[in-house]
Amino acid sequence: MTLRRKKRTSLKELKVLRRTDRREFLKTAAAGMGGVLLADRFLVRAVYARTSPAQDQPGKTVFSLIVVDFNTCTGCRTCETVCSSFNARAAVDGKEFPGLGNPALSNIRVYPYNPDVDIPITCLMCEDAPCIEACPVEPDPRTKHRALYREGKLPVLHNDLVRCIGCGSCAEACSNKRVGAIIPNRATNKPERTCTLCSGDPQCVKYCPNGALSYIVEGTPGQHYGISRDAAAKTLTELWYGKE
Amino acid sequence: MSEKIHGYHGVILEADLSNRKINKIPLADEDARDFIGGRGLGMKLLADRLKTPGVGALSPENPLLFMPGPFSGFPIPSSSRTCIVTKSPRTSPLQSRYPHASTVSYANMGGFFGPEVRFAGYDGIIVTGQADSPVYLWIDDDKAEIRDAGKFWGMRTDEFDRRFIEELGDRRFRTCYIGPAGENLVSYACVINTAARAAGRGGTGCVMGSKKLKAISIRGTGQPGVAEHEKFLTVLEDIRKGFRAGFGGGAGYDDWRRYGTASALISASNSGFQAVRNFAEGTYADIDQIGAIAAEQKIWVRDFACFCCPLGCKKAGAVRSGKYAGIAHDGPEYETGTMMGANLMLSDLDALMKAIYDVDDYGLDTITTGNVIGFLMEAYEKRMIDRAFLDGIDLKWGSADAILEMVRKIALRDGIGDLASKGVKALAAKIGGASAKFAIHSKGHELAAWNPHRSRELALAYATASRGACHLNGDSAKSQDKYVADDSTGVCLFALDGFGKDGICRLLSAITGAEWTEEAYLRAGERIYNLERAFNCREGFTREDDTVPARFFEDPLTYGPHKGAVLKREEFDKALADYYKDRGWDLKTGIPTPEKLESLGLSFMKV
Repeated sequence: MTLRRKKRTSLKELKVLRRTDRREFLKTAAAGMGGVLLADRFLVRAVYARTSPAQDQPGKTVFSLIVVDFNTCTGCRTCETVCSSFNARAAVDGKEFPGLGNPALSNIRVYPYNPDVDIPITCLMCEDAPCIEACPVEPDPRTKHRALYREGKLPVLHNDLVRCIGCGSCAEACSNKRVGAIIPNRATNKPERTCTLCSGDPQCVKYCPNGALSYIVEGTPGQHYGISRDAAAKTLTELWYGKE
Repeated sequence: MSEKIHGYHGVILEADLSNRKINKIPLADEDARDFIGGRGLGMKLLADRLKTPGVGALSPENPLLFMPGPFSGFPIPSSSRTCIVTKSPRTSPLQSRYPHASTVSYANMGGFFGPEVRFAGYDGIIVTGQADSPVYLWIDDDKAEIRDAGKFWGMRTDEFDRRFIEELGDRRFRTCYIGPAGENLVSYACVINTAARAAGRGGTGCVMGSKKLKAISIRGTGQPGVAEHEKFLTVLEDIRKGFRAGFGGGAGYDDWRRYGTASALISASNSGFQAVRNFAEGTYADIDQIGAIAAEQKIWVRDFACFCCPLGCKKAGAVRSGKYAGIAHDGPEYETGTMMGANLMLSDLDALMKAIYDVDDYGLDTITTGNVIGFLMEAYEKRMIDRAFLDGIDLKWGSADAILEMVRKIALRDGIGDLASKGVKALAAKIGGASAKFAIHSKGHELAAWNPHRSRELALAYATASRGACHLNGDSAKSQDKYVADDSTGVCLFALDGFGKDGICRLLSAITGAEWTEEAYLRAGERIYNLERAFNCREGFTREDDTVPARFFEDPLTYGPHKGAVLKREEFDKALADYYKDRGWDLKTGIPTPEKLESLGLSFMKV
């Protein structure tokens, strides 16, 4: 697995990071869960279990995606604004500019919980793509694409707005089987808010003030892959706020 | 300045609870230009609604305003603040013709509420009237409804925060609310959001309770426009890039991120500036037990930030073992840690967590609550009151059980809690004798966690603040003008260093299309400050009200490195006179002169 981070933090460095005691606590707490949560810094949905190299499956298709380190995310939503700014362009006096960062147009969305836990949700680029599977539109005989499809170097989703019938099956599949990243357009019900990886330079990763987001170029899913945001929040709540 | 003003929706949402009506009222361009937004615009709208003095703070006529600033709703770092503005239920002048005379009130909270107001298409929310049964205000973009809140009435803030979001069905709603203290009209009830962030001071939650308004919940999908799109993005990028370095080359930034305001617990104690033992002392011997280093080791779990803030000074924590195990709440920050800790001599960190949690959970202002309990502890120690007066509570310094029981009684106005719910000024009036000397308030509003024994500048800041004692008030006319302007943009005062010398004016210029120089910005601040002052003077406040308690002039610190420090009255009086001169206010009365008001475009305020 290759990590591209603005600032690399190795596991070794982690040990000397501030809040040693907190991390000690988390280690203890995580032990009951097989140590996965801490052995891999990227908690839960992230996912990319490196519990043992044997679990990696060489030869298997791997996908790029954004992963979240829930330990360092502060829930500030800077990611939402820079995603929106990059992906929802604005036309001003006939020229195109980055937008003003309206979070409602962002492809990454942070959901807050009580006690304080924030769960940023992005498209997971699932290899098996339940959303595409669920698309009922007859594949195009030439391209073999349904309305929702993947194409090109990056594993990002595309939607053919002409052929899409706005049935919402993709969003439902994502919500039921994965994290609910797809949100149907309020007017047309056609799928929106899937990650574009910003043409290979994800803005959320670049601008996160906490280094909580990483762009994983090659990875294989681990045991927490695709768990719902409620389940992730529950796990983290127990881990962080539970009694000794 | 150019004619057309950008960066605002031009719409204020008004909820008239008496008639259960929602109105969208236009925002006048000149009000946006002259009063910016946030606190300033809130004050202008308050003055528009209250044209005569003496209106009761808890009467239906008193409007309650929720004001984001023109920075809110843009991805500007650390600019999420919402200022709640109303007429204060807390303050009173020494003398006035009006039985309900009080100052203006403002309280400022971080989080995500202010930006969401702007996403939904409004520059502010104004609540007027009074509902006949509990309600909440629900806003989803242009739809707004006044809904029944019967089943949530009486609910504490932590439970409400969890239950209400489930009722709404979308975690993207942003909600602020009151707890039982606000419902019960405790005069220092606050408004809470995310179960911990508070618009703490000035009794805004009490006014909200008087309107039977449990909560305002809002969600939006839009955004205001800016005058100069490209320039705005360029300035924004400049500020993001230079943000960290603005904090003393970066070290200050790293400290903020690591410790938040809790870092000041130890430094303020060491420098004799902490409120300790009901402000009798400035240094706390046991500060290491509740300071940031101890909290980091024992309590803190993770950092949390407000909208687009890189600082993340909110330290969520948990008590993991012992009597209070299971408490999940923010660790002590400077104000909460000092007022419920050092000021009450409570050095048990777990118990302090429980006390802070309870105060927030009931929806009380931590600062005033710490003052009230500290005052009663001192009166009890000095035998001015006995145990019977306290309903049998053995209110000794540092007693966690006694503190927690007092908090409960205050929030529910049970027994002694009823009188205590009015604050230290009312308690001292009842107890009498020499107790007024250690009732730590100015104009009826209690001092915050910074002890002024060593600093007449700080004493001046407290004495001349528009809402009664305020620690976020500058100590000179110029710094006050700056802070009040900052409070009007939506920026957080803790983050100012990140904007450099002219960052705020550059942003404001790009957003509004007007040319904001430092001079114009300070002038706007001066206008707002004078508007607040004129409002207060119209109610009957004068120079005699601009003071701090006798304790700071008469009882020198007896402990710590600054033992012996005390304010000198003649120095304070001179500083006050110099300040009035600077302000252009009448030296004898402290009232802004008609010429001053006219020069600021405030001739509509007749004092």
